[in-house]
Amino acid sequence: METKILSEHYHKPEFRALAGYKALGGYEMLAKALKMERQKIIDEVKASGLRGRGGAGFPTGVKWGFLPNNGEPRYLLCNADESEPGTFKDRKMIERAPHQLIEGMIISAYALGARKSYIYMRGEYTGPGRILRQAIDEAYAAGLLGGNILGSGFDLDLDLYMGAGAYICGEETGMISSLEGLKGQPKLKPPFPAVQGYLRKPTIVNNVETLASVVYVLRDGVAGYRAHGTEKSAGTKLFSVSGNVNRPGTYEVPLGYPLKDFIEQECGGLKPGRTLKAVVPGGSSAPVLTADEALRATLDYENLASLGSMLGSGAIIVIDDSNCMVDVLGTVSHFYWHESCGQCTPCREGTGWLHKIVDSILHGRGKPGDVDLLVKVADQMKGRTICALSDAAALPVISFVTKFRDEFEYYIREGRSKVTGKGPTDAQMHH
Amino acid sequence: MPKCTINGQEIEVKPGATIMDAFYQMDQKEKIAHYCYHPALSIAGVCRLCMVEIEGNPRLQIACNTVVTEGMKVNNDSEKVKEAVKWGMDFHLINHPLDCPICDQAGECGLQDQYMAYGKYDPEMAERKVKKRKVVDLGPRVVLDSERCILCSRCVRFTEEVTKTNELGIFNRGDRAEIGTFEDRPLDNNYSVNTVDICPVGALTSKDFRFRQRVWLLKDAETICAGCSTGCNVDVYFNKEGVFRLKPRPNEKVNGHWMCDVGRDTYKPLNRDARLLDARLSEGSKVEYMIPLMGARKAAEWVREAKADPKSVALVLTGQYSNEEYEAIVSTFKADVGSDRIFHWVNNPETFEKFDGLLFRGDRNPNTKGLLQAMQRHGSLNNTWNELVAALESGSVGTLVVAGPLDLSVFPDLGEKLASFAKAKRVVWLSSGRSDVVDACPSPLIQIPMRTHVEKTGTYVNHAGIAQTVHAALAIVPKALTLSEVADVIAGRDVKRGNAPAGVGRRAQNEFTAHRGAL
Repeated sequence: METKILSEHYHKPEFRALAGYKALGGYEMLAKALKMERQKIIDEVKASGLRGRGGAGFPTGVKWGFLPNNGEPRYLLCNADESEPGTFKDRKMIERAPHQLIEGMIISAYALGARKSYIYMRGEYTGPGRILRQAIDEAYAAGLLGGNILGSGFDLDLDLYMGAGAYICGEETGMISSLEGLKGQPKLKPPFPAVQGYLRKPTIVNNVETLASVVYVLRDGVAGYRAHGTEKSAGTKLFSVSGNVNRPGTYEVPLGYPLKDFIEQECGGLKPGRTLKAVVPGGSSAPVLTADEALRATLDYENLASLGSMLGSGAIIVIDDSNCMVDVLGTVSHFYWHESCGQCTPCREGTGWLHKIVDSILHGRGKPGDVDLLVKVADQMKGRTICALSDAAALPVISFVTKFRDEFEYYIREGRSKVTGKGPTDAQMHH
Repeated sequence: MPKCTINGQEIEVKPGATIMDAFYQMDQKEKIAHYCYHPALSIAGVCRLCMVEIEGNPRLQIACNTVVTEGMKVNNDSEKVKEAVKWGMDFHLINHPLDCPICDQAGECGLQDQYMAYGKYDPEMAERKVKKRKVVDLGPRVVLDSERCILCSRCVRFTEEVTKTNELGIFNRGDRAEIGTFEDRPLDNNYSVNTVDICPVGALTSKDFRFRQRVWLLKDAETICAGCSTGCNVDVYFNKEGVFRLKPRPNEKVNGHWMCDVGRDTYKPLNRDARLLDARLSEGSKVEYMIPLMGARKAAEWVREAKADPKSVALVLTGQYSNEEYEAIVSTFKADVGSDRIFHWVNNPETFEKFDGLLFRGDRNPNTKGLLQAMQRHGSLNNTWNELVAALESGSVGTLVVAGPLDLSVFPDLGEKLASFAKAKRVVWLSSGRSDVVDACPSPLIQIPMRTHVEKTGTYVNHAGIAQTVHAALAIVPKALTLSEVADVIAGRDVKRGNAPAGVGRRAQNEFTAHRGAL
């Protein structure tokens, strides 16, 4: 069963506008928060067990605690550069409840002492961008943004910045570079953004869903928030599902929810006559699970980590037995090759190399040692670079070729897919 | 002062120093692979080769961006590190064209050198390489081959941080990324060739040097640049065909790691085709050539003949010679000739005091300070140029000895000054360069070929008063003389040719022995 906390009113069109949002209890938590001690809010977020919903799952309250108290201006940035293949939960929230995000941001900015805040949005999200812009304007007009918010004496300026469509700008320091007007490339760490981020000032970067969740941490209290989910993975989470299911879409379930139930009930199961082959549980960079693994997995950070994968952004890609895994990896490796920023050598060169090997196999030019080579190259790309894109490119490769090795070897040997029987002329070409 | 252990060796470093700094401090920079790190530039951390293992940290870290903490135990000789560096090298090479046989960097290439030390020796890349732009004209002095480029970003950081001219950038992303310039903004600053020096591969090459010599056919010696009063420490690269280039040698007190493009060109007047090879005596239409020593004897004869009236002998000095030579010629004039008519020729008074804020100075002489010190010691500092002009105008100068330019190009007033000098009855012209303007001088004139600063041992005092002694690196015109030798001949002493170089190719040592190498 879905547990709708964030998404309770997503089906109501009026929830999108300020009046409708307010009528359903919106901005009540802001009024409450502005009367609270800042540290109290931070403590509640820490105690709630809320973890970053962008992919890394880092405890939000702990991250907030990294801000130094040095009197410097600080910034709160919202990462809405949702670009991981398979992920579209933030878009859903912004389209259905933009004020949820804005309210969460004002509360968080108040707690952190930030007076200037930006939402960095994926360049392709032009529609959601318009909705959010409108919502921001509404909030300013209603005195929810700007000077002396709700008579509290707290000032906050919030602006929306549209990216130009680079996946790497979803990496928090890449995003900061882009926001600073530089080429969107991750920055060397240390220094970390909490110490030196946007404009070299202390900066917190949080995902859309994370910031919106702060509203509900305050509404339900620590115990209420922790009533859902598991001990270490508290609360509910939005999952975006794509692939071979009857009802793809965004669903909110408590963390720890069985993946099997999720696919069969929320997503309406597979197409008739099809069997489950694999599931990518957390966006395309998460190592793939076999059907066996998927059926015993639960949707929380710990369980998926124990299966060698990750919850990531909560993007579930369901793959049934009609798909050729070589072909799927072709799409995935093309993506990371295309999106590598090119700064660090192992990623710049490695993503291209992996992509070309898979592409050669798909073109019938595969060589006997290619499967082992893919693993060797990917292994050497892990943990070698400034940001995690290199790992994101390497992990799916390693998991695909180890778990579905027979499909790769068959394609290399026979020059056509073991699953579809199709060869290079039919295969999807990636160049 | 934190102490750490690197490969078992304990070392104390300055607070805030990185592990890479520690390797440099131990003089072990060759023991750690790296491309993007450069001691004079910001940290990029992108080549990912300087991997080290730190006790207690499961992930390898890069040495260039990891600050040493007390008690840190670091190694870069474990199998784990070696494997990572091997693959790191391979990632650099999979799309590199490996065109070493036609690449100017071959022989001094970071990829070649470091592959020998850290390479995988088992290439597994069998896919098509990425094609990029070749022979890209970046500016008047630098050419880019994008396929060779490893995108270490040193050149980009140089134009951002050192010249602050920002001509270069990295365009596009992933394995399509390329160095480039912005439209209508070529790499055109007076320090552009430093980007070629710091390029660890053959991506950036110097238009002046490319395709002219294989570097392993060149010898190098330490000297200074004589192009201005900064006195940048440089290495001169030469072989029996002559000098081919100058490259800066790090000296924090003088030039940091850099030199200017104008200074790069100062090797050109050193070569034979620009040089005065024999003494040349011209009287009216009569021209006679002789070996330099004979020329000096002829000059000495002229000085002796005018000596009856010592005031009729005058000496003009330029800031192009060494302290030792100034001392010899000035004291000879004072003691042996008996003349105190010694004058300082300021070659470009309009720009003399200028400074570009980095290295390049308007005083285009290596040793103006040394000259002024010598004149002061001998009480000639108050002689004004106007006194000389007046004497020349009045016809009272019998023999004028001019210790003229070694680099003619920095004497824009050459013609004007010669017209004035020609009013002397006889002119002794000491110079290393050949010039039609000088050849055309109407009065009796003897030109004597002089050694350049790379052909003799001597001390030069730069604008800040730093005295730098350089030793003879090679002999380009072996018969040419020094000012000290001319002084000996004028004074009738035996000519001691003690400081003549042993011949082309002798390895010389500067007293500033900063570390060497391309990286």
